Amino acid sequence: MTSAFTNGKRALVATTGIALAALVLSGCAAGGGTNTDSSGGPITIGTTDKVTALDPAGSYDAASFAVQTQVFPFLLNSKFGTADVEPDIAVSAEFTAPTEYTVVLKPDLKWANGNDLTSSDVKFSFDRQLAIADDLGPSSLLYNLESTEAVDDTTVVFTLKAGNDQIFPQILSSPAGVLVDEDSFSATEITSDDDIVAAEAFAGQYVLTSYDFNNLLAYKAYDGYQGLLGAAKTDVINVKYFTDASNLKLEVQEGGIDVAYRSLSATDIDDLRGNDAVKVVDGPGGEIRYITFNFNTQPYGATTADADPAKALAVRAAVADVVDREELADQVYKGTYTPLYSYVPAGLTGANESLKGLYGDGNGAPDIEKAAADLAAAGVPTPIALNLQYNADHYGPGSSDEYALIKSQLDASGLFDVSLQSTEWVQYSKDRVADVYPAYQLGWFPDYSDADNYLAPFFAEGNFLKNHFDDAEVTALIQKQAVTNDAEERTALIEEIQDKVAAQLSTVPLLQGAQVAITGTDITGTADTLDASFKFRYGALAKG
Amino acid sequence: MTTVAMKPPVPAAGRSPKKKTSPGGGISRYLLIRFLLIFPTIFILVSMVFWLMRTTGDPITAALGGKLGPDQLAELISNAGYDRPIFIQYVEYLGQVFTGNFGTTISTNRPVSEVLFTYGSATAELVFYSLIVAFIVGIPLGMIAAYWRDKAPDAFLRVFAILCYATPVFFAGLLLKLVFAVWFKILPPSGRASIGSELQMQLLPDKTGIYFIDAIKTGDPMVLSDVLMHAVLPALALGLLTAGVFLRLVRTNVIGTLGTDYVNAARSRGVNEFRLVRTHAYRPALIPIITVIGLQVALLLGGAVLTETTFEWKGLGFVLIEFIKARDFVAVQGIVALLAVIVALSNFIVDIIAALIDPRVRY
Amino acid sequence: MATLTSDTTHSPKAPLWTRLPIVHQVRQSVGLQRGMLVAGLIITGIFILTAIFAPLLAPYGFSQLRDENGTFGAQLEPGGNHLLGTTVGGYDVLSRVIWGSQTAIAVMVVAVVLSIFAGVALGLVSGYFGGWLDRVLVVVCDAVYAFPALLLAIVMGIVISGGRSDLIGGILAAAISITVVFIPQYFRVIRAETVRIKAEAYVESARVLGASSGRIMFRHVLRNATRTLPLIFTLNASEALLTLAGLGFIGFGIEPSSAAEWGYDLNKSLSDVTSGIWWSSLFPGLAIVLVVLGITLVGESLNDLADPRLRSRRAPGKNAGVVAATSVVAGGTLTAGPGGVDGLETSPPLPDVHPNDDPFEAK
Repeated sequence: MTSAFTNGKRALVATTGIALAALVLSGCAAGGGTNTDSSGGPITIGTTDKVTALDPAGSYDAASFAVQTQVFPFLLNSKFGTADVEPDIAVSAEFTAPTEYTVVLKPDLKWANGNDLTSSDVKFSFDRQLAIADDLGPSSLLYNLESTEAVDDTTVVFTLKAGNDQIFPQILSSPAGVLVDEDSFSATEITSDDDIVAAEAFAGQYVLTSYDFNNLLAYKAYDGYQGLLGAAKTDVINVKYFTDASNLKLEVQEGGIDVAYRSLSATDIDDLRGNDAVKVVDGPGGEIRYITFNFNTQPYGATTADADPAKALAVRAAVADVVDREELADQVYKGTYTPLYSYVPAGLTGANESLKGLYGDGNGAPDIEKAAADLAAAGVPTPIALNLQYNADHYGPGSSDEYALIKSQLDASGLFDVSLQSTEWVQYSKDRVADVYPAYQLGWFPDYSDADNYLAPFFAEGNFLKNHFDDAEVTALIQKQAVTNDAEERTALIEEIQDKVAAQLSTVPLLQGAQVAITGTDITGTADTLDASFKFRYGALAKG
Repeated sequence: MTTVAMKPPVPAAGRSPKKKTSPGGGISRYLLIRFLLIFPTIFILVSMVFWLMRTTGDPITAALGGKLGPDQLAELISNAGYDRPIFIQYVEYLGQVFTGNFGTTISTNRPVSEVLFTYGSATAELVFYSLIVAFIVGIPLGMIAAYWRDKAPDAFLRVFAILCYATPVFFAGLLLKLVFAVWFKILPPSGRASIGSELQMQLLPDKTGIYFIDAIKTGDPMVLSDVLMHAVLPALALGLLTAGVFLRLVRTNVIGTLGTDYVNAARSRGVNEFRLVRTHAYRPALIPIITVIGLQVALLLGGAVLTETTFEWKGLGFVLIEFIKARDFVAVQGIVALLAVIVALSNFIVDIIAALIDPRVRY
Repeated sequence: MATLTSDTTHSPKAPLWTRLPIVHQVRQSVGLQRGMLVAGLIITGIFILTAIFAPLLAPYGFSQLRDENGTFGAQLEPGGNHLLGTTVGGYDVLSRVIWGSQTAIAVMVVAVVLSIFAGVALGLVSGYFGGWLDRVLVVVCDAVYAFPALLLAIVMGIVISGGRSDLIGGILAAAISITVVFIPQYFRVIRAETVRIKAEAYVESARVLGASSGRIMFRHVLRNATRTLPLIFTLNASEALLTLAGLGFIGFGIEPSSAAEWGYDLNKSLSDVTSGIWWSSLFPGLAIVLVVLGITLVGESLNDLADPRLRSRRAPGKNAGVVAATSVVAGGTLTAGPGGVDGLETSPPLPDVHPNDDPFEAK
């Protein structure tokens, strides 16, 4: 173990009295069972993630899903380097009727504990997800699933409520699509982490061999894995959970861990880029940051005294004109976030830059004169008083600096008089849907890597934003793309939706997060798994 | 915090005339009353936490507020029963506490008793190490300060004591990390053990969660030294905070007892001044120190929150913040109930010790 | 009785200004004790002046990110237009440190004022009326005292401001939680004095003479309590600042465009330190340490001066045993100071552990 050895050295320095003995001992420790082999030695990963539960029915967050991705099988999944899904432990997956999605499993699949992995497990997994419907679980993603049938040992038929659902294959690779062992999990209750580990109910690239909740997880490659990703390159992976990003940075810098993934501060990443002892690997990110406008309570909104939809749009357009995304990305995030000019982030099929041509100078930079002229044309007197809200604890430590800079940009244009306020997350979540905030920060981490996940939850009827944006045409287009089989036609629809929303500015997209991993110089394969699927698979990593 | 006017106890001269108890009440009666007082203390703290937490929101909004719309949230909240009249929930909760059922955490779905055990042992270990540091640093330095009263060493030590108290524990922790972990590289920057050691301890059949004991059980001296190395900086950061309090207390009380007739008598017998401090003045000064330790438990547990966060020491204080953020009522109430029991018990034990050392507190 | 005597023994010759609090103590003190008191006063004075003149002293506004030449830029090294550099968010460090003194002083004043009013009122009521109310209040105060201040502050912050981290909300969260924790300390002192004085003959006679006993109580209680109050007072103030800083550190601080706050800045700059950017954390950290140091120095010095056993002798003698007797004389005026005759009278060699009269006959 690298770290054990380092500590051996530390012990040596401190206990000078037994210096020689300690040296011998540390040599012994380093030569023990957990020794670093020259090739394919164990890799230690550090993260600031916080897992909530191992059971896929009881967790709906990126950190828990990051663990589930390693140890549980999926029907559909994406290969390294892409976000497009294909059969994972299945040989085929397709619509056999408009409302029937049939998946055929590979034969002779086994769980790590020796149980057979059959269609009955698949049916069990989806039935229990819906039956448990845990408060904090992802069962809401299965909104279109009517029932699951195991036709024979390897064939599963999903009956859907709405036909030709192009999103359903994506859902099968999402947190709601995780498969579990019917002999080890309870059908009606969340199964505890320790029970799952004890039952060895795994069949992903890895199995968990040691589980110290949110502290230290030890993985071992699973020999029986027959999925899409192939055998894991490294046999043993240890994952250490940190609470403080600066400690994580120190450890990766000092060589205590091999890989730091999610999330270091922008300052730390910037500093490590100049450090020869580590590599900084960037990949596309699915996280987006945007300002949402409440169509009722924003300046000139529908329920304000001087309601005027045209003026309200002019105000939103002026924000989009004036905000300097490059400056935000450079000064606050030092390149760990990149400017975002549309609703679907770059890297996903259908992404365009619909805001770029409409607002600012046409090349992404701000244009204050244009904003001033447009506001004057719409008859909006300046400066416009704007209440801007953000949350400092949910979207990372950069939020306060980001919004302070946005306020500064808007104020400096002379067109706005921004009052900025931040609110603790729970209250924030309540207030934003209660029409308390005229304009506010939100972020999004996708459930599955498809453009639909950046459109339907936001702009279709009954969206979670509850900002009173309601456009029948957009809703219809969103519904249409979801059931359009032809890929090209669907892409065109997705682009059209972005253009339509960009013209109305329900939200102003600002930034797209990059995935950044810091690794020791001897670690390879990191770039392979930093893809648009946003799943960090440990199986891609190798040492030496 | 430096506690005010902690002086050895005595049956006060100005006691309320309303007192009807005879002076010879007996120690058992005294201890019984002290013991019974534990229960209202716990009850008050637990109730305080219940009402405070319920006014701050619910765990479902905390987890899914950025994903779901208000209707879906309201439905989930209603399913979970958080929209029922709060008084009913309170009575229900008291019933659970009464039967010793702490429940399962909402946000991580783990038994609260397990959370208390896992993280509690980590905090207990940290607090224990810190007390050692506080004793080793605070008491001798306090005696030195008293001996050289109003001289340069005294002034230096008093400013040192105040600095210990004045430096926020996370700032001190940061400086310690910089110096020992980054510049000299002789101590690990954070965590309770290195990964190799933790894996070894994980394999133990009956782990206690107290790494010092677990490390001994592995029988590997490297693991033990590794665990101890990791404890040095956090123990220093938290221990010095308390050492400042002890230093001041020892100094004040030793100076106080140096003026008593009994010490004067010894002095007149020709006992030298240093010996006076070390034996004659020190022992009577112990009682207030013991009393203060009881009060320090609350401070240490509070200070542990910041120390644990700074040093990745995954203890109660650290998870408590996480649970508050997640509005996990069940977990927060469980942890606070445990803290309340610890504080109440340590006060009780301190009372007993004080009563045994100084018979004058018994009535 | 002491207090009455002290009223009648005003030294008529002493000029008024020497009898003012603080000035009196500075004159009363000697040697190192004076040095510490004066050093504390200077630091505190600079702090208060900085807060008052922050708008004149600070080169930029606390939320200013740009001047006529565009944005400042983030993490600029000290020098040039930014004497102490800029932060990760692009603020001017010097300006943030200077403006931060306003926030610090606001939280201290609010916390101290609230605690004093609530603590004194409760203490008077409890001590004066006694009975079951008294017992309940004592138990409640003991329980509340055991609650870690920082945890209370987190929850209070959410309850009070609905989680909005603006200036008022942040200050009130820190101040009120500190108030809750400090009320028991004021309560104990005031209650003990009330119980004692209530039994005094002169209160009875005043009552017979038709004077409002409440008014008498209030005057005398406060006069006597001034011995220990300064220390609680300064502890209260520094604890308020440390709690605000702690809140900032764990992410519940005041939003940077609402106010400058040292703990928040420190939290934001922690990750800078490991990247070799030391200026953004060092200065706010030092500001916290210095202010708490200054205030604590004043508080401890005042406490020592008020306690005859701890007061430095004007003419240092070998025999510590006579301190109590000589210091009163050496201290000069027996009247206006918090020590004075009362100090002598109420300082038996071994006074109470807590200056409180336990209704449960404990301690």
